[in-house]
Amino acid sequence: MGVRVRIPTPLKKLAGEQDIVLADGNSVGEVIQWLTETYPGLKERLRDEQGEVRRFINIYVNDEDIRFIRNLETPVKEGDQISIIPAIAGGSSLRKRVTLTFPPEKIKEPIIYNIGHRFKVVTNIRSANVTENVGWVTLEIDGEEGEYLKAINYLKEIGVKVEPVEKDVIV
Amino acid sequence: MNYVKGLKCRECKREYPIKPIHVCEFCFGPLEVNYDHEKIKGNLTREKIEGRPKTMWRYRELLPLDGEPTVGRNVGFTPLVRADRLAKVFGVKDLYLKNDSVNHPTLSFKDRVVSVAVSKAKEFGFKVVSCASTGNLANSVAALAAEGELESFIFVPHDLEQGKILGTLIYGTNLIGVKGSYDEVNRLCSEVAENYRWAFVNINLRPFYAEGSKTFGFEIAEQMGWKVPQHVVVPMAGGALITKIWKGFKELEEIGLLDDVQTRIHGAQASGSNPIISAFKEGIDWIKPQKPKTIAKSLAIGNPADGFYALKTIRESGGSAEDVSDEEIIEGMKLLARTEGIFTETAGGVTVGVAKKLIDKGIIPRDESILLSITGNGLKTQEAIQDKVGHPLIIEAKFSEFEKIVTPQQKRFEEVPLQAAI
Repeated sequence: MGVRVRIPTPLKKLAGEQDIVLADGNSVGEVIQWLTETYPGLKERLRDEQGEVRRFINIYVNDEDIRFIRNLETPVKEGDQISIIPAIAGGSSLRKRVTLTFPPEKIKEPIIYNIGHRFKVVTNIRSANVTENVGWVTLEIDGEEGEYLKAINYLKEIGVKVEPVEKDVIV
Repeated sequence: MNYVKGLKCRECKREYPIKPIHVCEFCFGPLEVNYDHEKIKGNLTREKIEGRPKTMWRYRELLPLDGEPTVGRNVGFTPLVRADRLAKVFGVKDLYLKNDSVNHPTLSFKDRVVSVAVSKAKEFGFKVVSCASTGNLANSVAALAAEGELESFIFVPHDLEQGKILGTLIYGTNLIGVKGSYDEVNRLCSEVAENYRWAFVNINLRPFYAEGSKTFGFEIAEQMGWKVPQHVVVPMAGGALITKIWKGFKELEEIGLLDDVQTRIHGAQASGSNPIISAFKEGIDWIKPQKPKTIAKSLAIGNPADGFYALKTIRESGGSAEDVSDEEIIEGMKLLARTEGIFTETAGGVTVGVAKKLIDKGIIPRDESILLSITGNGLKTQEAIQDKVGHPLIIEAKFSEFEKIVTPQQKRFEEVPLQAAI
């Protein structure tokens, strides 16, 4: 099975230093269960004494807040992505979501690999559509501000259109 | 003089030393200032408070500064007025206004929170203060940073009312108009706050900043003769003020300066920006973020930082929550001005409109005491009422010209009945 779970920076070291964990489960609740059994250190950070998910942790399935779906009963399937995100910003690095639109002549180039290679940023594809003539990717970019800006400038220089993704409003 | 034990997570109760931080490292909950109430109880009396200068600092034991305030020493102790004419229109017996539209120095309740935050920023040794604002906070941070000889960077939505823009720029600040909603401005500021060692009054200094709001509640209690009204109506944007008024009442009870607080706290929002009201009405305890659209720009926050706690306050106190349309907001502003002679900003129109609604619905009984929180000044939001309050009658400088426009009724020099003036 493979549900991708995005671990927030402050919890990374409790999940074996991984940004993304491949987890098992058919619902968000089952995935959280799997996570806290696999990485016991996460348990008290994600759940309170009553076993509820902590109030200031938001969980998203493919960009949708689970409170808008079916909470912990929200079903997930292989290939879905779960993001665990602190409700109040307070970490030390930036995480931004942008949509990249590639000009036709750049579609075949490994641009996303390149930015991860050239700059100290971690990239994570959230959704994409690439055909012969058109290509766009919604990408999460994680890193220090300077590196993030360098990566964005590089993308713009080579002719990629970069737009912020509005939906990801987390305050 | 310092009764602060440290910071404490509002969720998991973990404790932290006094630092410019606002999020619990463990559970990501918000941090709050933790006082030694036992010690305060033995040291603070009604008489002691009453003997001090008439500013918010008369409650300094319950505020989180180490030393004396270094800016905004004259903030607070605004008028609490009995509103008999408005009471007559509402059909209620006992109505009061706490009037922060004349707060010093920038004419809104924000001077209370900012004087604490900027004084605290100076104690921490910051050189720059900053904030995300819908306008009132911008005015206050710019003014008090000037007084404190600090550099300031202020982030606002670019389409704010002119009054709030000019009322910020005059103090010689760096004003950044961000193309986006307040929530986007706030998110940008969170990012800036992570990368610059600046004092963001409503981000990394939020635990200290928010404490200033308690003085609005302390003053209500003291000015009513050390008792509290049965109902308080409070406008909500980020939700901090309503939470802190309640906390203020409870704190006075805890240290023995008030007996038996039975106030019901009611929340007010504009219909075009009502995430807290919606959650209240749906019976849920989390907030669905919105994209605000209302003339009450000072309340236009779609993702309120203290929304959860605002809801908790309303429910815990047995209060209620309502919203009003833009037309009702303007009617509320006009009504307050034409009955009590107080020109409040759009947020005040929200409070008046919501109070009327709650009374008409029978949620606030007509024979109980009610206090309306008036938090800002109408001169700052003039655009909202442009073309809604009539025009001057323009005449030639001749007596005959004047005679032409005066009505027979006005000629009799009789008093215009109140009802006709509304």
